[in-house]
Amino acid sequence: MSANATQNLPYTRQEMMAIATGRELRDGELAIFGVGLSMLAGYFAQAHHAPNIRAMTEGGVYGATPVGGLPWGIECNRISANATSFTNAIDALGFLVASGRCDVGIIGAAQVDKFGNVNTTGIWDGEIGDSYRLPKTRLTGAGGANDIACGAGRVVIMVTHEPKRFADKVSYISSPGYLDGGNARERYGFVGKGPSAIITTLGILRPDPLSKEFFLDAYYAFSSVEEILAHTGWDLKVSPNVRVVPEPTPEELATLRRVDETGALRKS
Amino acid sequence: MSQHKLLSLAEAVRRYTHDGIQYASGAALPVGSDAIVFGRELLRQGRKNLHAIFHCNTQQLNLLAGAAAVDKAECGFSGLEVFGFANGLRRAVESGQTALEDYSNLAMAARLLGGAMNWPFVPATVNIGSDIQERSAFAPDDYPATRKIPSVTDPFSGRQIGAFSPLKPDVAAIHVSLADPLGNAIMLGTEWSRFELSRAAKKVILVADAIVDTACMRQYPNLVRIPDIIVEAVVYWPFAAWPQSSPGLYDVDEEHMKFMNKALATEQGTADYIRDYVTGYDDIDGYLDLIGRDKAERLANGVTSFLLDPFRQWIKTPEEIAALTSEVAA
Repeated sequence: MSANATQNLPYTRQEMMAIATGRELRDGELAIFGVGLSMLAGYFAQAHHAPNIRAMTEGGVYGATPVGGLPWGIECNRISANATSFTNAIDALGFLVASGRCDVGIIGAAQVDKFGNVNTTGIWDGEIGDSYRLPKTRLTGAGGANDIACGAGRVVIMVTHEPKRFADKVSYISSPGYLDGGNARERYGFVGKGPSAIITTLGILRPDPLSKEFFLDAYYAFSSVEEILAHTGWDLKVSPNVRVVPEPTPEELATLRRVDETGALRKS
Repeated sequence: MSQHKLLSLAEAVRRYTHDGIQYASGAALPVGSDAIVFGRELLRQGRKNLHAIFHCNTQQLNLLAGAAAVDKAECGFSGLEVFGFANGLRRAVESGQTALEDYSNLAMAARLLGGAMNWPFVPATVNIGSDIQERSAFAPDDYPATRKIPSVTDPFSGRQIGAFSPLKPDVAAIHVSLADPLGNAIMLGTEWSRFELSRAAKKVILVADAIVDTACMRQYPNLVRIPDIIVEAVVYWPFAAWPQSSPGLYDVDEEHMKFMNKALATEQGTADYIRDYVTGYDDIDGYLDLIGRDKAERLANGVTSFLLDPFRQWIKTPEEIAALTSEVAA
C-alpha cells in the first residue's frame, strides 16, 4: 500500500482514521484515551462536536487538554499543563473503568483478529504452542488497554490496515475483544460490552450482533471494498449495505490539525 | 538531628540493595517520573540478577535490562509510549536474558494494593480470559498457566474470577518531586501507583528532585501522600528522572530519550551509553554537566513549571542540603 495514495486528497489516511474514530464519541460521555493517536482522535472529538465529553487518561489526569501537540505519554507535561486533578492508576483504571462507569475507550493495536481481540505483546512465527516460547519481536505489552477492553462500556480500536495486522486469530490476546465469538465474554463477566468498531486507515469494521465476527461496514472515499479485502488476513464479510464514510468537513480537518499541532497524523 | 534521613545516592544503593533483590521503581508511566538515576547507580555498583517490579517500563528498566542486569521483570506496559518500543528491554526479552511476566496496568496497581493490605490475593476482574492469564514467562511450560492468575470462585455470586498475587518488593526507589529531610514527600503529576507501592515495599527510598523545608509539608499536608514514618532514606538528586519528565520541575528531553533508546538497541551501543552516561560522572555537578547546563535550564522552564511556584519558597539550596547530609553521616 502506498503511503502516498491519498496525495491528491487534502487529508491523510491517518487523519481520516482519527476523524472517523472521533465521530464515534458522543457529547457528555466519560471517556478514556490510550497513548498516541487515540488521544488525538479523542481530543479532536472534544474540540469539535463533544465539548462536554469527560476525558481522562489512565494515569488519573483529569480536566486536561494537550498543549503543544501529541503528548509523548499519557502522563507527560503536554497533558499535565492544564489538568484540574491528578490522581492515580487505581482511581482511573479501577474506580472509573473497572467499575463500569466509563462509557467509551479508544485503544490501538499491533494486531487484531476477526473477533476484535488485540495483540500488543509480541510477534511469533505462527502459533506460540504449548510452551511460552520467546517472541521473535517483543512489543509493548497490554498496558491499560486490557483494563479498558474489559471495563469500558464500549471500545473503539484504531489500527493501520495492513494484512499482517489483520489476522484470523491473534497469536496472543493482550486485550480481549469477543474472544472466540458469540457470548464468550459472558464467561468472564466483563462489565464492558466489547469493541463496537475497528476503525482503520481504510475503513470501518463492526461486529455482527450474534456471532461477534467483524464485517466491513464502510470504506473511505479513497479506498474500496476490494482494497480492504486484500489487506485483511481473514475472509472478511461485507455488509450488504456497505457505505462510503463521509469525507472530513473543513471544520473537522481544521479542528483536528489544531489538536495535532505537531502533525503526528500527517507523517507517513 | 538524627531524624534527618538524607543519604547520598551511592550510599543508599550500597546500603539497601544487593544482587538478586526484588527491586521496585516508584514512577509514573514511561515518560514521566522515575528515579532513573537510581538505576544508573545500581549499574555503577555492579548490581545484577535483579527481579524488577516496574508498574510500567521506563528508561530505567530499559537501561537495566539492556545492560543484562535483570533476570526477571513484572510489568504492565513495557514500551516507551510515543517514543516507541523499549529497545534494551526488548533485546533482553527476545534473547531470553530477561523473563518478562506480563500484567496490565490496573493489575500491577491492584497487586501493590494487595501487598500494602497484606491480602492473601486480589480478586481479578481484568486480565482474565486473555493470554495474560494463560501464559507465564516465569513458568513457560505451564499452559494454561495455573500459578499466575489462578481462577477462583467469587463466594457471593458464584462467578469465576481470577486471583492476583500481591506484591511486596524488597526495596522501592520512589521518585518524588519534593521531599523534606525527614522523608515526607509531594508528587506533582499523576502519582500512578506510588502511594500503594510506598506501603507495599519492605523498604522505601525516596529520590527527590528538590528538598524542601518541613514547613512546606505543614502548609500542604493533603498533598503529602508519602509520610516520613514509612521512609528509610531520602536521596537528593536534581533531574533524577532525566531524560524523562517531572511535572513542575522539567520537561522530557526528547533528544536524549531517542538517543538513549537507540543506543540500548545493541550491546555495543549499551556499553557506550554506560561508559558515557552511567559511569561518566562523579557527582551531581558532573551529572548536570552531562545533561548540559543550558539544556537543563531550558527543560526546567517548560509548560508545567508554574506547578512548582507554590513550593519554591521552601526549596533548600545544594549547600544547605550538603550541610544536612554531612550531619547525618557524622
